[in-house]
Amino acid sequence: MDIFLQLTFSGIALGMIYAVIAFGYQLTFATSGTLNFGQGEALMLGALVGLSLAGSVMGGPYINYWLMIPLVMLFGALQGVVVERIGVRPSIKTKNEFGWIMSTIALAIIFKNVAENIWGKDDLTFPSPVSATPFQIFGANVQIMQVIVVLGALAMMLAVEMFNRKSIYGKAVVATANDSDAAGLMGINTGQVVTFSYALSSATAAFAGVLVAPLTLTGATMGTALGLKAFAVAIIGGLTSGVGAIVGGLILGVAETLTGYYISTGYKEVPGLLLLLLVLAIKPSGLFGKTTIKKV
Amino acid sequence: MKIKSTGLVAALAAIVSFSTWAADPIKVGVSGPFTGGSAPMGVSMRDGVKLAVSEINAKGGVMGRPIAVVERDDEAKNERGVQIAQELINKEKVVATLGYANTGVALASQRFYQEAKIPVLNNVATGSAVTKQFIGPEFADNYIFRNAAHDTIQSAMIVDEAVVKRKFSKVAILADSTNYGQLGREDLEKALDKKGIKAVTVEKFNIKDVDMTAQLLKAKQAGAQAILTYAIGPELAQIANGMEKLGWTVPMIGSWTLSMGNFIDNAGKNGNGATMPQTFIQDGNTPKRKAFIDAYVKAYNPPNGRIPSPVSAAQGYDSVYLLAAAIKQAGTTDGPKVRDALENLKEKVDGVVAMYDKPFSKDDHEAIKMGMPVMGQVVDGRVVVAK
Repeated sequence: MDIFLQLTFSGIALGMIYAVIAFGYQLTFATSGTLNFGQGEALMLGALVGLSLAGSVMGGPYINYWLMIPLVMLFGALQGVVVERIGVRPSIKTKNEFGWIMSTIALAIIFKNVAENIWGKDDLTFPSPVSATPFQIFGANVQIMQVIVVLGALAMMLAVEMFNRKSIYGKAVVATANDSDAAGLMGINTGQVVTFSYALSSATAAFAGVLVAPLTLTGATMGTALGLKAFAVAIIGGLTSGVGAIVGGLILGVAETLTGYYISTGYKEVPGLLLLLLVLAIKPSGLFGKTTIKKV
Repeated sequence: MKIKSTGLVAALAAIVSFSTWAADPIKVGVSGPFTGGSAPMGVSMRDGVKLAVSEINAKGGVMGRPIAVVERDDEAKNERGVQIAQELINKEKVVATLGYANTGVALASQRFYQEAKIPVLNNVATGSAVTKQFIGPEFADNYIFRNAAHDTIQSAMIVDEAVVKRKFSKVAILADSTNYGQLGREDLEKALDKKGIKAVTVEKFNIKDVDMTAQLLKAKQAGAQAILTYAIGPELAQIANGMEKLGWTVPMIGSWTLSMGNFIDNAGKNGNGATMPQTFIQDGNTPKRKAFIDAYVKAYNPPNGRIPSPVSAAQGYDSVYLLAAAIKQAGTTDGPKVRDALENLKEKVDGVVAMYDKPFSKDDHEAIKMGMPVMGQVVDGRVVVAK
């Protein structure tokens, strides 16, 4: 039994990482119908910037781990604005349906190359801000950092949801998400809202980056695989549902660790991806997604 | 006037140095991973090669000709290795190529050298198949040589350490999914078989995997007393750190990659005690070795004075001297004659790994024999000779 619990805990920690990144995909999709395929790279940049501030790679540490987080999120937000301005806005303006796909991928590759040149291609260790010694819950070992990842991810998503529901700015975001044209007519600057959603999306990714970095290794290539898995999560859970991102993330994370143990580590990614295919075939809008009818 | 005269001196010096090297340089290719997870091996190997080349050139080169190194980063990717092999053979017209840190890249690229009749000296890659790709009777001559401890030796040493020396009867094998990991796993299983033992569990993982919980739990449940590994630095560190996450620690005994800087650094204290076969340990226990280590540290100034992969650096260094001796004996840079000279080396080559006395023969292209490597152990961020 404790084996099962151990696997589930590891799966949850892994799944919550996927969920936060998937959440980032949703934020921009809601307001603009576009996605940032560089979500994984935003995470990677966040982790590396965080490491430069709180670690010793750039002659630091300059500030401690917890103070570094807001700075990294600010950096992430700026990076998101850059992506939106350069990669997405031109194609929204020209009503180009696919331009943003290629341009966000292109930017992702550029970010990766830049990171490789600044920080090198090697994996670096991110010093853990808390003790790495695990404690026990019902006989399963859990590290404090794993708990922080789960709580941090949940808190982040909750904060964004609260912002959208309670604040006037958030309401502008929701209005734009519901009907961009009508929101525009009501005097909401929808262009700004889209930029804002990109900033928010990359900030969450950067936040996820500094959360996971102490558990994994940090390096220019860390984002690619995570970004892709998170995209699968966003599709499984539905691109329009925050709950969907969490549930999708947990399903994929737990499925990976359980398959790895009970079936074979060689097949650990297969069940999650089979589920993805199944969801696409039966409920293309995702488990929790709203079916949208596109009027032509 | 002053500027003019210095300019004149410089020009003169250039002419003089040029006339010293009026002879065509002997071009030697170096192909290895200088970036990515295998970089510690590739970079150390390349620097070892360059160190030996500069020593030889300072003494007048080979046959009065300097050696010129043409280095290329194969990024540990098979397809890059193939492109580089073709470039080095057809465009750069190298006399021989040194290198390959990755078994997969070596296996994919070597056939171009075999066809072009140009010798390859593998100085890092350890897969047992590397030198056996073109053996007789199908092939009249084999152009692939090696001066690294191949996996048959290493797996036997690993099993010896675990089963004979430490008397473990239950061991788990964790290997990555690359050619290196899977071929090494086969060798480990064969070596265990000889001792009449079967691994309690055999697990694999991919490069860049961040979660080893499932693999480690299986090993734990199966009652493994030690983990035998075949993988490279970053993932080995994930295993060591993964054990800490589970609060379960058993000794790690594995292939020589457990000495890579990116394992030692990323595993930190969790890497302590990891044990592996080594042909060379950064511990100047002979004057020649000490001189080599000092020269390396002085020339390349590695962080903390620690060579990223001492084994690769030493083997890279030795591979140049082996090749130089063969070219000297052959009296030409012609591929078949150099191969022939390598197979019948008359001169003893005094390397930092060993004294090579007739290292190769027609049927044996392995310079490192059983008994040459020793066991090394990670202690506080350094590899020392295992007690």
